[in-house]
Amino acid sequence: MSEKPEHFIVDGKRLDGRRVDELRQIKIELSPLGRADGSCYLEWGRNKIMAAVYGPRELHPRHRQNMTKAVVQYRYNMAAFSVDDRIRPGHSRRSIEISKVGRDAFEHVVFTKFFPKTAIDIFIEVLQADAGTRTAGINAASLALADAGIPMRGLVSACAVGKVDGEIVLDLMKDEDNFGEADVPIAMTAGGKITHLQMDGNLTRDEFYEALKLAKIGCDKVYKLQRQALIEKYNKEYAENGEDAIPRPEGDADE
Amino acid sequence: MVKTPYPGRKVMQMSDDVMAEIHRDYLYNLVLKGERDDGRAFDEFRDISIETNVAGMAEGSALVTLGDTQILVGVKIQPGEPFPDTPDVGVIITNTELIPMASPEYEAGPPREGAIEIARVVDRGIRESKAIDLEKLCMVKGEKVWIIFIDIHVLNNGGNIIDAASIGSIAALLSTTLPAERYGLGEDSPLPVRDIPVAVTAIEFGGELLLDPSLDEGKLAGTVYTVITNSDGSISGMQKSGIEPLTIDQAMRVVDMAGTAAAKIREKFLEV
Amino acid sequence: MERNIVIPGDVVSDNIKMSGSGTYVHGSEVRASVYGLLNTGERYISVIPLAGKYIPHATDRVIGIITEVVYSNWIVDINSPYEGLLHISQYPRRIDSENMSKYLKVGDCILTMVASVDAGMKVELTLREKELRVLSNGRIVTINPTKMPRVIGRNGSMIRLLKSEIGCNMFVGQNGRIWINGSDDCIDLAIQTVRYIEDNAHTLGLTERVQAFLKAKEKTRYGKVHESRNDEE
Repeated sequence: MSEKPEHFIVDGKRLDGRRVDELRQIKIELSPLGRADGSCYLEWGRNKIMAAVYGPRELHPRHRQNMTKAVVQYRYNMAAFSVDDRIRPGHSRRSIEISKVGRDAFEHVVFTKFFPKTAIDIFIEVLQADAGTRTAGINAASLALADAGIPMRGLVSACAVGKVDGEIVLDLMKDEDNFGEADVPIAMTAGGKITHLQMDGNLTRDEFYEALKLAKIGCDKVYKLQRQALIEKYNKEYAENGEDAIPRPEGDADE
Repeated sequence: MVKTPYPGRKVMQMSDDVMAEIHRDYLYNLVLKGERDDGRAFDEFRDISIETNVAGMAEGSALVTLGDTQILVGVKIQPGEPFPDTPDVGVIITNTELIPMASPEYEAGPPREGAIEIARVVDRGIRESKAIDLEKLCMVKGEKVWIIFIDIHVLNNGGNIIDAASIGSIAALLSTTLPAERYGLGEDSPLPVRDIPVAVTAIEFGGELLLDPSLDEGKLAGTVYTVITNSDGSISGMQKSGIEPLTIDQAMRVVDMAGTAAAKIREKFLEV
Repeated sequence: MERNIVIPGDVVSDNIKMSGSGTYVHGSEVRASVYGLLNTGERYISVIPLAGKYIPHATDRVIGIITEVVYSNWIVDINSPYEGLLHISQYPRRIDSENMSKYLKVGDCILTMVASVDAGMKVELTLREKELRVLSNGRIVTINPTKMPRVIGRNGSMIRLLKSEIGCNMFVGQNGRIWINGSDDCIDLAIQTVRYIEDNAHTLGLTERVQAFLKAKEKTRYGKVHESRNDEE
């Protein structure tokens, strides 16, 4: 295990060379899984996350069905080998909490009322963890939902902000997360509405406000990458035949 | 890291809990003609790809794709106590997670009989082949040995998980480093692996034996028979499951087919 | 073409009267609710999704598979989050409720019609319409239901092309299942063509492409044994 560094920021550069308002490298791949209705693989720094969406589908047991809307279910899980010390497979109190607030992050954006009695299942598997897995999971989930054709108000984008060496920084890496003064994972809609917010550590009111502003900048950057990934997927898969893709008019079907 | 088997297309299948009778008839009639739905010969595997060191926090890992099936195997190693009845050898613990991401049929929760069977069959092949020199993993007799955790994480079930899990496990072990430095126990070194057991699974369907069953074929199978062979052709583990019986002749034919298929897989992907 | 592809939340119009399927109204704007292709019509702007489940509507003709036989009803999988119910009275003729499995058993396929869908998404099916029947031979392929309109074509033009060029019998269910019958060769070719349409569903001049595809296949078609469904890839 590493020890607390003496300084987190030297000459405006952080331990991994980033500026205070810089995200780690993000790589997105859509639809890697064949069985799921929608899926997304996302690398965020050294985090590797797989997200899958099934649904809307029949919800069992029946007594959990809601007659007026779909039930969104979210399962965040870490692979046993995703961290330094092997973790026991299955749910922990931590993963249950993350799953709960993860679900809450999407309730507002998914048009659940279109699919009464069904479930929309979102599964997040952390394959390699290096600080920020819950926000990376939310970003991947958002794309997997879009990939599955689920109607939504918009994508949800997430990142963490925190405080190290008395400064507010974007997207905490491992040591900053472990030894920093505060960690604030946040998810937002493109319009800046907060759908997920947690905080631990110590911040003043003004620092928190600064953190929110920085989080908005971070989420905007993530949103651009998410949007680009969806558009590129379309261009690659549907228009690769060298001809222009065109939208089809309604009423194409017979009858 | 992960490959898209057929971009833009979901795996085509009938509804999950029920297969249309006419689809079943179609697959059956194909087998009678000596054919399979995806054009393979009866003893032919789907495309295999193996990528190692894909999970950076693990001491060894491999992502295997076998047709549409995708499995990630991670190996974690830590020091611990040996079992009292085997005080001078290391410990292997194999676990399979059939996570609900991988198939609409899987549910969250502790491993059930299917997952446990897969883990135990893979474990048996590795253990009985003596692929890992467990004696070398003993540090202090009766007190301190290396414990190897093989975690099989199924990401997408496209059929024949057991063979993909077996290939993934040995590939992950071949890429594994003993993390001695981390625990102040000397220098890191490669895990001593001296054989490459490979599981090959056949199903009996329409009186024929088919290797590497696809998802649909697996659903039709009356019997599923896995044979694990080693580099020298010897057998280190077997498992028959499914309700239909197997004849002696069929059992021997699968052993022969499995040996040949395993040799090809070993040659192509797994040689150290 | 980027200008045609939209993602959920994209503003597609500032005239809320234009809000069509796959969009929603937010304040004074129309926004996309699904990831798909923008379709600007004269009266409505809609988004055609690239993926999604089949949601049943009355009068849809669908292909179902019997999953269960219960008292007076068959439960039918219609490739949807919602199961269909076929009441014994909706079988083409009067039958005894003791003997339901004799007429339709688990695994049987039916070409059926959605008779009604209530507010609780109870989906009632019928076999009492012309064309509707039990499918006892042929094959069924499943494609993404959002691409069904392209397999059907404008006023059924694509399906007519397939039937006449390939010489097979075919029925396209609204739920993404397609039933095809004919000789083995014809069925194989029909399935390959359906897959081709699915892969090229959002491209221009699809009918001409399909004609060219069939022409190319025609040359290699005769005297050939079974072809894999992925041959064209």
